[in-house]
This record gives sequence, C-alpha cells and structure tokens, in this order.
Amino acid sequence: MRITELFQRGEFVLTAEVGPPKGVELDHLIKDAHEYLKTRVHALNVTDNQSSVMRTGSLATCKVLKDEGLLPIFQITCRDRNRIALQSDVLSAALLGIENLLLLTGDYTTLGDHPQAKPVFDLDSVSLIHAVKRLEEGFDIAGNAVDGAPPKFAKGAVVSPCSDSVDVQLAKMEAKVKAGCEYFQTQGVYEPEKFIKFMEQAKQFGVPVQLGLIIPKNVGMCRYMNANVAGVHVPDEMIKELQADKEKTKAGDTGVEICARLIKECKDYAQGVHIMSLGWENRIPEILDMAGIAPITPVV
Amino acid sequence: MLITQLKSKETIEALAQGKTVIINCHGCKEVYFAEHEADELQKDLNGVTQIITTDYICNPDNLKLQLQKHTDVINAADTILVFSCGVGVQTVAAQFEGKKVYSCCDTYPLPGFQGVTPLNVDCGQCGECYLNGTGGICPITACSKSLLNGQCGGAKEGKCEVDKEMECGWERIYRKLEKLNKLDNMKYEAPKVRNYHNPNAEEPII
Amino acid sequence: MEDYTKFKLKRKEELDAVLAGKDNLFVVACNKCFKELDSFDEPECGLFEEIAKEQGKNIVGSAQVDFLCNEPLTSKSFQGLIPQETENVFVISCGLGIQTIAGMAEIPVYAASDSVVVDGYHGMALTTTLCEACGQCYLNITGGICPVVDCSKSLLNGQCGGAKNGKCEVDKEMDCGWQLIYERLEKQGRLQELLDKPVELRDYSKVNHKFVSEYVKSVREERYEGYYGGIHPTEFKELSEHIAVVPFPDPVNVVIPMSQHAGAPAEPIVTVGQQVKMGQKIAQAAGFISSAIHASVSGTVVAVEPRLHPISGLDSLAIVIQSDGKNTLDESVKPAGDIDTLSADEIIEIVREKGVVGMGGAGFPTAVKLKSPKPIELVLLNGCECEPILTADHQVLLAYADEVIYGLKAMMKASGAPKGVIAIEDNKLDAVELLQAKTADIENIEIVVAKTKYPQGAEKMLIKRVMGKQVPSGGLPMDVGAIVCNVSTAKAVSDAIQLGMPLVERVVTVSGNRMNKPGNYLVKIGTSVKDIVNHCGDVKGDDVTVKIGGPMMGFAQANLNVPMLKCSNGIIAVETTVKEAVECIKCGRCADVCPMELRPLYFTKYALSEDWEGMKTQNTMDCIECGCCEYICSSKIPIVERIKIGKTAIREGK
Repeated sequence: MRITELFQRGEFVLTAEVGPPKGVELDHLIKDAHEYLKTRVHALNVTDNQSSVMRTGSLATCKVLKDEGLLPIFQITCRDRNRIALQSDVLSAALLGIENLLLLTGDYTTLGDHPQAKPVFDLDSVSLIHAVKRLEEGFDIAGNAVDGAPPKFAKGAVVSPCSDSVDVQLAKMEAKVKAGCEYFQTQGVYEPEKFIKFMEQAKQFGVPVQLGLIIPKNVGMCRYMNANVAGVHVPDEMIKELQADKEKTKAGDTGVEICARLIKECKDYAQGVHIMSLGWENRIPEILDMAGIAPITPVV
Repeated sequence: MLITQLKSKETIEALAQGKTVIINCHGCKEVYFAEHEADELQKDLNGVTQIITTDYICNPDNLKLQLQKHTDVINAADTILVFSCGVGVQTVAAQFEGKKVYSCCDTYPLPGFQGVTPLNVDCGQCGECYLNGTGGICPITACSKSLLNGQCGGAKEGKCEVDKEMECGWERIYRKLEKLNKLDNMKYEAPKVRNYHNPNAEEPII
Repeated sequence: MEDYTKFKLKRKEELDAVLAGKDNLFVVACNKCFKELDSFDEPECGLFEEIAKEQGKNIVGSAQVDFLCNEPLTSKSFQGLIPQETENVFVISCGLGIQTIAGMAEIPVYAASDSVVVDGYHGMALTTTLCEACGQCYLNITGGICPVVDCSKSLLNGQCGGAKNGKCEVDKEMDCGWQLIYERLEKQGRLQELLDKPVELRDYSKVNHKFVSEYVKSVREERYEGYYGGIHPTEFKELSEHIAVVPFPDPVNVVIPMSQHAGAPAEPIVTVGQQVKMGQKIAQAAGFISSAIHASVSGTVVAVEPRLHPISGLDSLAIVIQSDGKNTLDESVKPAGDIDTLSADEIIEIVREKGVVGMGGAGFPTAVKLKSPKPIELVLLNGCECEPILTADHQVLLAYADEVIYGLKAMMKASGAPKGVIAIEDNKLDAVELLQAKTADIENIEIVVAKTKYPQGAEKMLIKRVMGKQVPSGGLPMDVGAIVCNVSTAKAVSDAIQLGMPLVERVVTVSGNRMNKPGNYLVKIGTSVKDIVNHCGDVKGDDVTVKIGGPMMGFAQANLNVPMLKCSNGIIAVETTVKEAVECIKCGRCADVCPMELRPLYFTKYALSEDWEGMKTQNTMDCIECGCCEYICSSKIPIVERIKIGKTAIREGK
C-alpha cells in the first residue's frame, strides 16, 4: 500500500518514526510498534543512519516491520551511498515489497559517531527523487532499461517550514515537486503561525504536507535544538511552559500536551501529521487522543 | 595551494633513525611553514648530521643542484627527513630511491592556485562549471556537501550544519540570484548530477 | 614541463545555450597560469567571440588579464574596464577567476569555460608528481610514493585485484601505484614493514572548513598588511640586534670615492700631499644633484686616483688619506645654532654644506630633498630597516634617539612640514618603546609601529602604510606631500647642526650566518671592508658571498679591497646561493609579492627579446628593485638583472 493512496482518498495521514538500533535485536522496536503504533498511525518511517550514527540498515528493518504486518516508509539519505548503490537499494526495496520512500540528502558525516568517514553525496534529495521516478518509468539514470516491470513507489521528501530561510526552502520544495515528489513531511514545528504562513505558499504546489512534530521532552532538549538543530525553533513561551511545572514536564505530560495543542492549531492547514517521538513511542496514543484524532483501521 | 603542518613530535622522533639528514623546504614559506616549531623540534632530534634549508625541492633539477655540496653527508645518512609538502617529499624519495626518506609534515590545501595568498573563494576543478546557474557562487566549494540542486535542511541562521562559522552556500546563491533578479535560474528543469568520469570529454554523456 | 592550465572553453553547444537571451557582452579572459611561458598570447578569447558573433551578439569589449584571481590587482584594473552599455560579462578562466569577477560586478557574470579536472595538487615545478593534500601523509609507509594520488582508488592497504602487467585497470597507461610502492620498499629492504603495518583508514574530517578558513584568514591578514605584496624572509637579526654600537678601531688610511651619492660625482678640492683635518671639505658638489664630501680622519692626502668602487664594481676617482691617528677636528666643525633660531633655508644650507645624503642606501642629497618644490605635510623617517640581517638603524634608534628626533625636527622646519613620523617595524619593540617615551610630549611627532614585512622601509611602501596614499606612477614622495628619510640621515642632520660635524662616519652592521664575530660598529667613511671583515673574525667556509648592504638589495663583492661609503649600512657574509634559471611557469608568485603591483614575469622575457616597448608598457621604470620577485621565483630567474637591463635601455632612449 502506497500512502499516496491515503492522501488521494482525503485521509488525514498519520505517521510516526522509529530508529533501528546499533545491533540486530529488534524485539523492543517491534513490540512498541505493535503496542502503540499499529492502530494509531498509518505508516512508520524507519530512519537511515540518522544523524550520521551507524545503525542497522533501514531497508532490512523495513522488511522486518513489513513481515510484522506494519507499513514501513524506507528513509534513504545520500550521505553514505553513491548513485549505483542508491538505485540498487531502491530496486531492492521494491523486491521486498516496500513501496513507501522518504528521500533525503542527509546529515553530514562529522555530526555522528564516525566523523572520519568519507561523505558521499553523489546525489541529493532532488536528484534521488528524480532517479526513483526514472526507475518507475523503466530506466536507471544512466539511461539503461530496467529488466521487467518497473517498480512503483510513494515518493516523499522533507521541508522545513520554520526555517529562518523559508524562501530558500520553498524554492527547494518546488524543485523536489517538479522532480516527482508526491508528499512531504516537515521538520519539527513549534510555531503554528509560521507553519500556517508556510502552507499558504506551499499549497500552490498541490502536494500533501504532513505537520512534523518532535515531542519536547524537557527544557534542555529545547535549548539544544534551538542552538543546534536546523529548521527547529522552540519559542520562549513554550520553554517557560515546560519550566512552569517541573514534575509535569518530567512525567512527559507537558510535552504531550504541547504536541496535542500544536496538532489542533495546525491540522486544518495540513494533510496529516508525522510524529518524531525519539523513544517516546508509548506517548503517541495519548497525544493523538488529546488532539481529538481517533484510532485508525490499520491499512495492511 | 599547499600548506604543511608538522606531524607530532613523537612521530618525527620515531622517524629519525641512525644518521639523519634533514631537508627543510622554504619554497612556500610565504603561504605558511611552521619555521619556528620545526627549528625547535629539529634541535632535539638525535643523530642529525646535517640540516639543509633550501626551497622548491619539488623541482627535481633544482633539488639536485641544491644538494650537490651535501652529497657526502647524504650518502652516509641512514635516514632523510623532509619537512615539505607531499610533492617535495616524493621528489626527494624519487631521487634517493634506495634511502629511507620520510615526511615530517602533513599537507593541506588552501583555496587558490597562483601566487602565495589564498583566496576566499575556491574552485573544485569539477570540469563542468556550474557558476552560470548560481550567480557566480560555486556550489561544489561553497556547500559542504557540494550539493547541486539547492539547500539541504541543515542550515541554521544562514550557517552550514557542518560548521557554524560557514555560511550556507545555497543560501548565499539564493540571495545573490534574488539580487540579480535571476531566481528563475533555480527553477527546476532537470536535476543536476555530477559527472565524475570525464567531464572534460568532448562528447556529452547523458 | 607539464601543462597545468586550469580551464578550457566550454563546448560550443553549451556556449550557445548560455548565450541565449543575453546580449551586449563584455569578455574577460585570464592569461592562464601554470604552464610554460612560451608566449603572452594565451586565451581562447578570439574563439569565444567568434561563437558569440555567430549568434548575432554584440561584443561591447574584451580584456585579457594576467592572474584574474588575484583580487587586489584585478579589482584595480576592473574599475573603468567595463563600458556602460555592458549587460552581461562572460569570463574565460578557471572557477577562481569567474568567482572573482562575479564578486566584483553588479551585472550578471557568466562562465564561458570549464575547469580542467586534475586529481591532486601539483608543486611549483610542472612535474607529474602530485599531492592530494589529504592532511595525513602516508608517504612514510610507502617509501615515498603517494597511494592516494598514484592509486586510482586511493587504496591504503595494498594492491587491488585489478592490475594487469603492472598497469592499473582504470587507465592502462598508468602504473599500478601499489606495485611501484612494493618495488620501492623491496629496494630499501622494508617489505616486512609493509606486511606488518596496521590497517589504514582515511580520516576525511581532517581537511575541513574551520581548519582551512582559519589559515586563509591569518595568511591573508598578514599578506595584505600595510601595503600590497612583500615577503617575509628569515631575518637572522638575532645575530647582532643585541650588540651595542662600538667605534671601529681607527683606520690607518681611508679611501674616499667621489661618488657616494645620487647625481654627479663630487670634484676634489685637495691635492696629493695636502694636510687635511677631520671634517674638512675635500670635494665639492658638482651640480644641483650632487654632494660635498669631507675627510673622515686627519692626515695627509696620499692619492687622488681611480680606485675600485663597491657599487659599480669599476674603478672611479677617490681621495686616499693616510691617517695621522690624531683625529684633529677642522675649524668648520662647530655648532651652527639652534633649530629655533635658524631659518628653514639656513638649515637646508647647513645640511648641504655638511654633505648629508640619504643613508638608507640611495644616497640622495638630503638638502635637495628638503627644498621641495611641492608643499610638504609630513616628514617620514624610516626606522624599519626591513632588510634581513641588518641592525644598524635599530642601534641608531637605541643609541642616538635624541639626535634622531632633533634631526627630524630640523627636517620638519626646513621643509615646512607640520607633522613628523618615525616608522619602526614591530621586530624592534625596544626601539619603539624608547622613541615613544621620548616623543610622548612632542605633539606633532608620532611613532608608527609597522608590521614587519619586506620591503616596508621602501619610501613608497612607507607612504602607503603611514599615509594611506599611493605615489603616482613615475612620481616622487613630494607628489603626495611627503619627504622620506632614513633615521641615520636624521642623526647626520642633527650632528651637522648641533656639532657642525659633516657626514664622515656611520653605524654599520657586520653580520650574517658566515661572519664569525658579528657586531654593530661606528665606522669612518673610507674604511676598508677587508679590514672590517678581518676584525670580525673573517668568514667561515668556502661557499661564502660577502655583500655590502643587506641580502636582498646589497652588492656582492668579489674583491674586499673596497671602502665603506656614506650609504653602506652593512657588510654581510652569507652562504653563496646556487641556482639555475629555467623557463617561467606562470606561477604568478612574482605578481603576488611585487609591492609596486607590477607583473615581473613579463620582464623575464622582454629583456631577452629586447622588447623595450613591452617593458615600458609594463611600467618597468616603477620597479624599486627590491628583489621580492627574484626571491620568490620558483624558476630561479634573475629577474632584477633583467629589469635593470630594461631600465638601462629605456634610459638610453631605446
């Protein structure tokens, strides 16, 4: 099932994110997915060596989740593989019945735990989207014909609506759409006004956008993101909100409340929500409940 | 243009084996050469029979000429330590193929080709100049990831995620095109992809 | 020689596409770098113009520029280069040149060329040896063959399976790098090392933006400090900078040449056998630009005949005096008055009469300089002593600070300048401190500390640094309202007024790596260089060159039986340099270091082909012969020699 079908049906598409471990024991990940996510979100992003930290591959983890009856979104970054490997992995995904992709440029190598590695970036998000589209048309990007029936995917990408250079982001978004991108997940939003303003511009592209949320766990995390994470800005009032009731924040309740509120304020302008829970998968049901979003019927 | 940094003291000390001749190359001193540190370090090394300071040892004929009067001491040496860029070390090593020739420096690149003053702009020597689409700012060198199709999501306050002192190359490009009224350049027609094989070839590949 | 030209014209189809919709073009082409200089007609300007014209484009103008990426020089020529009606600029150059122009122009700039791909950096000779500048040199484990550059895959742990007959699978013309490494190590008996070495992994984070940009910033700051160009040769001033001045033992005789100054040689007014006293005038000025000369000892004139001259290398008229050892002063040696009571003209007359000439090396008659036909706003004293090794002016500042200041005041009064500056390089902080303390209460005299860079002491560089002004091409300091003199000259002016002593002695540095006992001496004019060198323990080694002056602009002496002159500030003994000139490789370093912003590479060829028009076009006459170009030349071309040939020809009206 390609999630583009859900968008086409007019569904408010819900997705969450899981990160494979630096190892081969996936039990915990699978358990959480079943318990908290299967009936609350339509699909699950599986990150690709996120933040340049080496972990078990997204493709293999996607397959495991698929076999568990879940709907995975294969995240692919351009940091670690050249165009040969990338196209090969895309075909491998199709072979394994994985039809949902999120195509990213990727964080730079020095941000992670192998800072000495050689950064590849042979392709970037735009050329990768294009490459996938070409494969769907039956050709690789060197012009060779694909053997047999070409694959078909739901091609997604990322955009940062709250970036301080939002005009530059919009230009990139347009390029991605023209290259063949069919849906977007945003970077974490904490400022509804900015998101709404962004969507006013973005809607001209006619492509569905999911509101991206990162659960604000504590003040420290917010300050870190403000200083270091691109496209993310937690406003002062929100930080004060987290500071106000320390016990509540510690219990994770403030963060959950904030997320729910953000969904309520923004959902009329978005075509879905993507929650990045950073290990707090178990709070997702609560967030969706508070936001007034009912459980879903699993699509697989 | 090339500059050198001394390898660690421990590394250099380990390289000085037996009778050691040192060759310092000051040819690119105007760009950079850790003259003072090299002198200090060389004072403490054991077994040094001669310190030769000259320039442009990357020129094999000049090297031969400069070393002529030191023939005897070099022949008697067990090790030759070279304080120069990689080109100089390789040239010395080629001239004394039977001798142990060691590099005491690591070589780094600075932007710029001619002269002795590095530039604020760099050329990636990609062979397929992209400057026409970017208002004259090179995406290969101004972007840490050498992206060709626009900004990634990593820029914060106009700075690159890799180094906060570095401006996001693609943001600079966007602003420049805006200023020139050429934002149309960024309109997508086909994705730009590098040709790593033979960009200078007469026939286009795709 | 290899050709490492950095760019070639784009393919016609691509150019047609770029040209579409653009008209009224100005074409800038770079004259290329890093290839043998066989002709000055390089770029593909003509070819591009043809393509543009085919498209019916209007070419508004074109220019061929040397070293387009040299920002300061290019931005200077750029002003006024592009005509008003230009709408688009097309640049034929590597990416650096294009970006340099794009950074300067307000209108759109386009690339008509692509860079040429080379993996790795070449050195300063156009050989096939390359370096990848990876920041983690592997040459020590490979016997001096680079695995990053010489292996197509840049492998670090040995050969891959692709080599066939010792050739690389990627390029059959290329030797397998790892095979070469194996053979080299085998030759050196180091194969076991190769087998025992730990696994190597490249660290790609070594070369990063932060590292590079910090170096770029610091090197650029240092290079552009004060004035464009210049170099930082190793100074060796520690050999003599802490040695206080002592009087050199009185010479037994002195040989005083008639030509110790710019302009006409002086005419002797004494005869053989005549008794003379110290400070007595023995030769009179012979024209407007000339100078009187005085006896530096008391004794008998034993000869008035041609003697070997240290600068011309030829014999020229000199007065030889046998000293009586008494140093009896002439009657004319008496105080002339005070600056406050003497008029400007009276001061100038004293300076003229007492034979004061520029002691920084040029020997220009100071009185002529002071009587400037143009208004003077500043008297600038050169206390920089930018030549390596020399420490004479430094010692003059330390030992004779009061006299230097007095002399400056006198020169200010004589020229009518309201302000005075003493410029001192920052390698003489003790002198700076002393002079600052002594001038603290003098409102119109300032001490300027200049960052050490050769040739900061040259008058045009001083003016640039201190006044921020540029002396016009072919012009003089007075054109921008300045008079520049050496600090020793200022002391001589002070002695002339306060003591009535003419210029008969000066501080000289005797030093250099090959001088056994360096020192700073107060030497009488006419003292034998040989005697001085002997006194300083003679030179060590066979491969020694003795120069009068500094290493950069000094005059090598084959014969030490020559006398010290008024303008001789040093005697140095240095290792004889051995070099052989090869063809210019257009590395652009000469243009980068020339403080007069010339392009010395042209002189290398024009002198040989006797193209004097070409020399004129390239402003040879503006050259101050500082030697920076020759110092940095990677082809070891004797550029100053060639410039002098050109200047002589131009002066002769050729």
